[in-house]
Amino acid sequence: METLIKVVLLACEQACPRPQLWIKPLAEAGLKVRMVQEPCSSKVEVFQLLRLLARSADLVWVVACPEELCRLCEGSIRMERRLAHAQDYLEEIGLERERLGLSLLAAEDEAGRGKVIDTIRAQAQSLGINPGCRQPSAGKE
Amino acid sequence: MIVGTRKPLVEILEMVKPYHRLLLVGCDTCVAESASGGRRETSELAAALEMAFRVAGTDKDIRETCVDRQCIHEFLLAVVEAAAEADAVLSLACGAGVQALAARLPKTPVFPALNTQFIGETAERGLWLENCRGCGNCLLGLTGGICPITRCAKGLLNGPCGGARDGWCEINLAREITPPVTCAWLEIYDRLHSLGQLNRLLEPLPPKDWSQGDAGGPRRVLRPDQRP
Repeated sequence: METLIKVVLLACEQACPRPQLWIKPLAEAGLKVRMVQEPCSSKVEVFQLLRLLARSADLVWVVACPEELCRLCEGSIRMERRLAHAQDYLEEIGLERERLGLSLLAAEDEAGRGKVIDTIRAQAQSLGINPGCRQPSAGKE
Repeated sequence: MIVGTRKPLVEILEMVKPYHRLLLVGCDTCVAESASGGRRETSELAAALEMAFRVAGTDKDIRETCVDRQCIHEFLLAVVEAAAEADAVLSLACGAGVQALAARLPKTPVFPALNTQFIGETAERGLWLENCRGCGNCLLGLTGGICPITRCAKGLLNGPCGGARDGWCEINLAREITPPVTCAWLEIYDRLHSLGQLNRLLEPLPPKDWSQGDAGGPRRVLRPDQRP
């Protein structure tokens, strides 16, 4: 059975134009990382966050633009609220709210990116395997 | 439209836990607009149930579908087919939709995932307000299009009570309500004033005929020209 901790990054392509800058350091820390680039974080829905946790992720992290840089003006604000709604579901299920995370970051903010990567790494390792996630032997994704 | 809210997950889990193959059925009209039972919410609940059962040590076969209107039998034909493979069905429709679905599935248990709240309107994004009690005898033509039966906390027919303060209903004093509830009769006055119809308030409304409401048992509408 697979024991690597699986992290899915849902990234606004304005905030994360170069996926390897995220994937490489997290993979080097022993995490299995997948990045899904979105045109804007406003495209990320609650059901997608929950479905990822149910089927293929131990931790899901959304990377969005800072509010003042969001091209849809309020995409990042609404993302924060949707994330909180999904976290309420996790609490009802008995899972940690921290299995869903969000960072608002400008593409050129290298120092900020390093800090977020450190946070994702630490959070993924501290939470470990998601007991609510379908295991590979239980069926296809 | 009908406004609904999702039941607590623990209540839903308790209802469906004896069944292995579950079919979740959303309704893409009223409860989709009130963000409680449409396609998105059906998918959210399906994923949440999948995780909750797994955390509890069980893997269930959870499937999902959605129809345009669960309260209209013609829309349910595809669901009946899908439900043939399910041990139980969880409906995210209002009470009318749940019952229509149950009537179509005589041998399959059907459970409600929502609490049906009221007939209302989307006042703002994320805010739904009750504005119709379905009393069977609409007074809106006399009250400037604002329903005192529903929107006055006391359902008064001839002006406000003495409890209104600064345009707010006194129920705001009893508990914190955000946004606060306005005095419906002040709104009726303002509305009639702007329509130049304040004289409507000079004629007292007679006692309301409640026999047209829900006090007389289940109501029905029969239209001979529409019958088969």
